This record gives sequence, structure tokens and C-alpha cells, in this order.
Amino acid sequence: MNYPVWQLGFPGGLLIAAVAVLHVFISHFAVGGGAYLVLTERRAYAHNDSELLGYVRLHSKFFVLLTAVLGAVTGVGIWFTIGLVSPEATSSLIHTFVWGWAIEWVFFFVEIAAALIYAYNWDTLDRKTHLIIGWIYFVAAWLSLVVINGIITYMLTPGRWLETRTFWDGFFNPTYWPSLWVRTAMAAALAGMFGLVTAMRERSPLRERVVRWAGWWLVLGIAALLPLSRWYFHDFPAYSRAYFGGAHTAVQHALRGGATCAGIALLLAVVFALLRPKMMNAVVVAVLLVAGIGVMGSGEYLREFSRYPYVINSYIYANDIRMAELLGITANGVAKSSPWVEMNADDSNSYGRQLLVMECGTCHSVESYRGMRKFARGWDAKFASELLLHLPVVRETMPPFAGDEHDRAALGGYLASLAPATPSGANEKELGQQVFAIHCSMCHSVGGQRRPLDLKGTDPDAIVGMVGSLHDMSPDMPSFTGSDVERRALAVYLSSPSQ
Amino acid sequence: MNLPIPHADPMPLPAPVWLLRTLLLLTFFLHVLFMNCLLGGTAIALVSMLRRKSSAFCARLAGELGRLLPSIFAFTITLGVAPLLFLQVMYGQFLYASSILIGVPWLAIIAVVVVAYYGVYFYSMHKQSGMTTAVLALVVLLLASIAFVYSNNFTLMLSPERWLEIYRSNAGGWNLNWSEPSLLPRYLHFVLGAFAVSGLGLLVLGLRQKADDYRQWLIEQGSMLFTGATILNFGVGFWFLARLPVSTRLAFIGGNGFATALLGIGMLLPLAAIAHLIMAKANKSPQRQMVIGISCGVLTVAVMVIMRDVLRNLALAPYFSLNQLPVAPQWNIILIFVVLFVAGLATLYYMLRKVAIGSRMQTAAAQKAE
Repeated sequence: MNYPVWQLGFPGGLLIAAVAVLHVFISHFAVGGGAYLVLTERRAYAHNDSELLGYVRLHSKFFVLLTAVLGAVTGVGIWFTIGLVSPEATSSLIHTFVWGWAIEWVFFFVEIAAALIYAYNWDTLDRKTHLIIGWIYFVAAWLSLVVINGIITYMLTPGRWLETRTFWDGFFNPTYWPSLWVRTAMAAALAGMFGLVTAMRERSPLRERVVRWAGWWLVLGIAALLPLSRWYFHDFPAYSRAYFGGAHTAVQHALRGGATCAGIALLLAVVFALLRPKMMNAVVVAVLLVAGIGVMGSGEYLREFSRYPYVINSYIYANDIRMAELLGITANGVAKSSPWVEMNADDSNSYGRQLLVMECGTCHSVESYRGMRKFARGWDAKFASELLLHLPVVRETMPPFAGDEHDRAALGGYLASLAPATPSGANEKELGQQVFAIHCSMCHSVGGQRRPLDLKGTDPDAIVGMVGSLHDMSPDMPSFTGSDVERRALAVYLSSPSQ
Repeated sequence: MNLPIPHADPMPLPAPVWLLRTLLLLTFFLHVLFMNCLLGGTAIALVSMLRRKSSAFCARLAGELGRLLPSIFAFTITLGVAPLLFLQVMYGQFLYASSILIGVPWLAIIAVVVVAYYGVYFYSMHKQSGMTTAVLALVVLLLASIAFVYSNNFTLMLSPERWLEIYRSNAGGWNLNWSEPSLLPRYLHFVLGAFAVSGLGLLVLGLRQKADDYRQWLIEQGSMLFTGATILNFGVGFWFLARLPVSTRLAFIGGNGFATALLGIGMLLPLAAIAHLIMAKANKSPQRQMVIGISCGVLTVAVMVIMRDVLRNLALAPYFSLNQLPVAPQWNIILIFVVLFVAGLATLYYMLRKVAIGSRMQTAAAQKAE
């Protein structure tokens, strides 16, 4: 409300996700890879293995090229992106944690300097000093994770901060520790994964030695992820743990996808890195990398999704509206609350469209991702505007609509204009099925997981009566706005849905 | 008129304004020095590459810059993060709004930085050729365009009266701040300044060489670049001044004592720098005068950074003052930051010292072998 909305044509949340997944994939490698570099170097010295030393020298150059350039710049990229998509939340984070970020910046600075010195001074520094610089790098990199982890986890579980508003309560919040160890384990796994990437340039028998060594990092990292992520998810807020229950297909996909990717990575690493290192090749490494992105991406997706309907739990909603502002906006209307929307007396659809952008645009588009034209098929204006009163019930992940009656009418009218459709069918039951799809399916299923309506065998006349008094049955239900014929058809369908 | 300026964040500033401003200006000053050496340095490398066949010095300089530029790039970015952080905490409601209005070019900076950064590494890691020259030319172009987008955003954040019009003309972020009268002179002023500072960089590079013709050549080139760019910049600077809103302009020419004094010092310092560089040329032992000249040049940058900040606060004065923000300092965390910052500097010093000792020993060993 406070800020203009960047109208991309697709939800801004997607943009954040794209930049963030790329960044975390590399930045976790930047942490784990630091330890991998020094420990590999030390191993080479201990075994007097000049070939291994040659490998780790090459790997250090690759490491700097990937982490200090793409890793560091995409990190700044997340900042840019969240500032563009969720300025209110970004501002809030900066005000709460500016000194956390300043401290992280010190580590970042040391990290970059140490990485460059480490990678380009193999011949100028003696072994001991070179190893020390490597350790300085790793410690600084891990400490930057230690700091940023407090800020990321705060968004999902601000804990006592909500009452005290103090830095430390927000920082050491309920998911701080499990998240730190999950990320550390992931960092170790990625160190191994990228260790395999450069190992592919080496020849036998060094190649097998490196593959097995890197394989252990990968296997131990992924194996540790399993118990650690259980601990992590267990500490999620109760409301978001419920999302894992099965009603949200996207969550199920992410959970299964992430677990499958982790399983594949573990299996491939055990077989091709530990048992048969001779058989490790570029294709397997590529599959491992894809699986790694899968694990990382699903983990981040689950964390972000679990935060819905908030961007900062119980403080700022996902659409960048502060909880504290909600009542004011509902009382005064959006047009009085935001200078960025333009009310046009002749064109209420244009106003409605602006409201959609402002209140729903972080997650919804009109045409593309979570496109409203698809969802709003067949809605009429009255139904849509009434539905807006119940958004958190329609989906637990949605923030309440912020606006007055006039705003709801405008947005409802706009939504109804997106895909007007009159339900029709070859027979009464088919018609009823369509009516169900339009009026009930956002919240209910027939025989499914989501608030199933089991009215099989109920007298259609009784159902007709129920449909006429939905609002009395539950204050969370909008009233039925279809015609009498449609109501009757719906009743017939619900009383005998199968066949 | 009702301007669409977002409300400041309801949370208080986590540090007193003087501390945040000091850190903003200090880190921005360091960022500007590196950024100038990056933009100017890649341009110098490009010219050197184009002339490398006719001049052995140019070929040598091109090679030397190839080794330096990746690190300069790294520190430009690293040092840029801190001022952006402090800027957001104080001026977030202006910066976020203007960034959203030019969202596409603003976010494109990230992709462009990545490409330019890899371009610099490509140049650094490959033999001198037509290909590396072409890549370098692209890098210069990309860096210059990044600077342009920054000029756009940092002028637009000062002009809330233009925001609604821009937003209504394109809400997708495909905008720049073309209607800003001071945009071009401001951009040119800063880019020319970058060339001048990179001239100082050449001088430093020269002073670190053994006494030979190459050293002399570097010093001459550096002095010429600094002097030429600075003289041109006087003209562009006046153009910039003339394009500022009347009230701001008047503040700089007498209306506001501090702003006027800064402008005066900002004009005297570069003149002093040029004078010392000229005197150094006539002098037999020029080292000392050159160091004074370089210091005057670097101080000019510091003064310009403060002037830029004064300009920002003057421009925002009708709508906003930093002193109106509530403050609740988080002293215990600030203390941790200061301790870690000092420890970080010590670590940096330790590492650089080790590298310096190592390189010296390596050079000594190489000479012995010869």
C-alpha cells in the first residue's frame, strides 16, 4: 500500500525464488567448499600427494570464479529483488537487523579477501600460512551463514521478538539452531558435489582418489540432512506444520521432490563415488548437481511456503501489508490508504485490477502463474466480492483482504469479468458438477482431502435447503448466488456424485 | 500537492543518525575509490590494448591491469554493499519507491555486473588478443551503463513529485529518469571523476615501480589523465550545478554556508592536486610532491562524497529530515560490530602482510636464481 507495486506480469515471488535458489546453491557451496579446500590441501601435504595438491589448486580457482563472482553478486541480487517485490518487509528487516547485516558484511569482506588471496598465492605463501588463510576463509564464510541464518529464520519464527522487539529475541529464534545445522550439512554436501565437478578434469588414478574423498563429503552431508531437517520442520510454527498434512499439493510435491532428490543423490554418491569411483562420470555429476538444486530448491520452497500468509510471521503479510495496518485500510478503503491506486468513477474494473495487483500480485497473476482468470471462471461479482471476506478460510495461506466494501465490490467485479461463464451440462448432474466447480471447489472437494463434502445419499431437497442458508451454517461461507436451477442441479450432483 | 512518499518504517533507527551517516559516507567513499579505479581502469586497459602493438609500455600496462582488475572488482562490490545497507535504513522509503519505478534496469544491474565481472576475469586469464580487447570493450560499456542506472535511481529517489507520473506511464518498471534536468551532467561529472581518480591510480602504480622509463611513462600518463579529466570536469561540474533546482543551487553558492564551503574546497583541492603534479614534473625529487598531489585528489573525492550527501538532504528537505526519525540505538550489537570490524581489519592486514612478505621473498629468490 505504502509502496508502488512492480507489475511484472507474473508474481514477484517467483522472481525472488529464482534469484534466491541460484544464490543459496552457490553460497552454501561457498561455505562448505572452504572447509573442503583446506582439508584437501592438508590431506595432500600429509600424504605428500603432489597430484592431489594440483587438483586442489585448480579447484581453488574454480571455487573463486563461482563463489566470489556469481555467488556474491546474486547475494546482492536477493537484496535488490526483495526490495523491489516486498519493500515494506525489507525495510522492516533492515531496521531490525541492520547491525546483523553490518556484522555479516565484515565477514563477507574478510571472506572475499581471503578467497582471492588463497586462490592466487599458492606459490607466494608457505604451506602453513596458506592453510591459515584457508581457515580464515572458511571461518568467515561459516560465520556469515551464522549471521544471515538468524535473519532468515526470524521471518518464519520471530518467536519472542513479537512481544519484546529486541534484536536477540528475533535472532536466536525457535528455528535458529536446526536451520543452522541443516544449512551446514547442506554446505558439506555441496562441497562434495562441486568437488566432483572439478575431479572430472583429472585422470586416473588421482581422479578416483578425489571422487571417493569428495563422495564422503556428499554422502555424510546428505545423510545428516535427514535427521536435521526432521528437527527443523518439527520446530516450524503449528499453523504451518499443518500445511504438511496433505491438503496442499504443492507442499506435497516439494516434500516428495526434495526427499526423492536427496535419495537419488545419496544413492548415486554411494554407488559411483564410494563403491565404484572408476565409473563416476560427467553425466552422473550433472545428475547430482540437478538433484542438489532439487534438494535446496524444495527446502527453500517449503520454508517460504510455510510462512504464508505472512512474509514476516504475525507481523507483515505476504502481500507486504502490515498486520497493524489492516484495520485502518478496511475502515478507510484502499484509495484513501494508498497513493498508488487511481480510482476512476467510470471504470471500476480498472480500479479492481489495481487492487488485484496491489493485494494479490506477490503470489497471483492474471494469466500466468496462479492465474486468476483460471480460478475465477464462472464467478459472478456478488459471489466474488463475498468470497473476498473469507480469503484466509478459502486458503490458510492467503492474507485477509484489506479494503472496504467498495474495494471488495470493485475487485469482485473485476474478477468476475475475467472469465464469465454460465454453467451448462448435458444433464442435471453434469450441470451440478460445474456449479460445484464454480461455487464450492475453492474450499471443498467431493471425496478428496480438502474439506470433503460427503452428502451422498442425502435427499436433494434437503441439500437445496442447505444451499439456501450457507451463511447460517457457517459464517465463513459466502451465500450461494446461482439460479434455482443451478442450486437444484448442485444438490442432485452432491447427493450422488459418482457414476 | 499530495506526494506519494511512503511512510517511514514504524521501527526506530537502530543507531543514532550521526553514526549511520558517518558509516554511510565512509564506506561509500571507499566504494567510490575502487569503483572509479574499476571503471577508469577497464577503460585504460582497453586503450592500452588498442595501442599494445605500437607501445611496449601499453602492452605491459594492459597485462598489469589484467592482474589487478579482478580484485578491484571484488572490492568495488564488497565495499558497495555497506553503503547500500546504511542508505536503506535511513532513506528506504525513497530508495525502494524509486527502485520499483525503474525496476527493470535496476534489477538488470545484477545480471550486468555478473557478465562484466566474468568479462574482467576472461580478460585477466587470457593472452592479449583481439578477442580479449573486444571483451574488455564490452566490459567498459557494461560498467558505464551500470553507472548510468545508478545515476537514474539516485536522482529519481530525490524527486517524489515525478513518481506518480512515471508509475502511471509504465508500472512494469521499464523506466529511466530521463526528465531529470541534472541527470546527464551528474552522470558525466561522476564518470569523468572516475577517469581522474584512475589517473591517480596510474600514478600510484608508477610510484611503486623501480626507477625506469616505464615508471616515468606511467607517472606522465597518470598525471595527464588526472589533469585532463579534472579540467573537463570543472566545466561539467558547472553544468551540473546549473541544472540543479534553484533552491539547491542557491544553497551551494552562498545560501548555505556549509554547502558553499564544500563547493569551494571541492574546487580548490583538485587545483592543488594539479599544481603539485606539475611542480613534481619540474622537480628533481618529485616523490613527495606527487604524494601530496595524489592526497589532494583523494581528498577531493571525499569532499565530493560529502557534497553529494548534502545535495541529497537539501533535495529531500521539503519532504523529510533524518532528524525526524525515532532512534533506539542497539548499542550492544553496535559494540560487537565495532569489535568485529576492527578484528576484520586486523585479519585483512595480517593476510596482506603475509602476501607482501611472500612476494618479496619470491622476487628475491627469482633474482638469486638469475
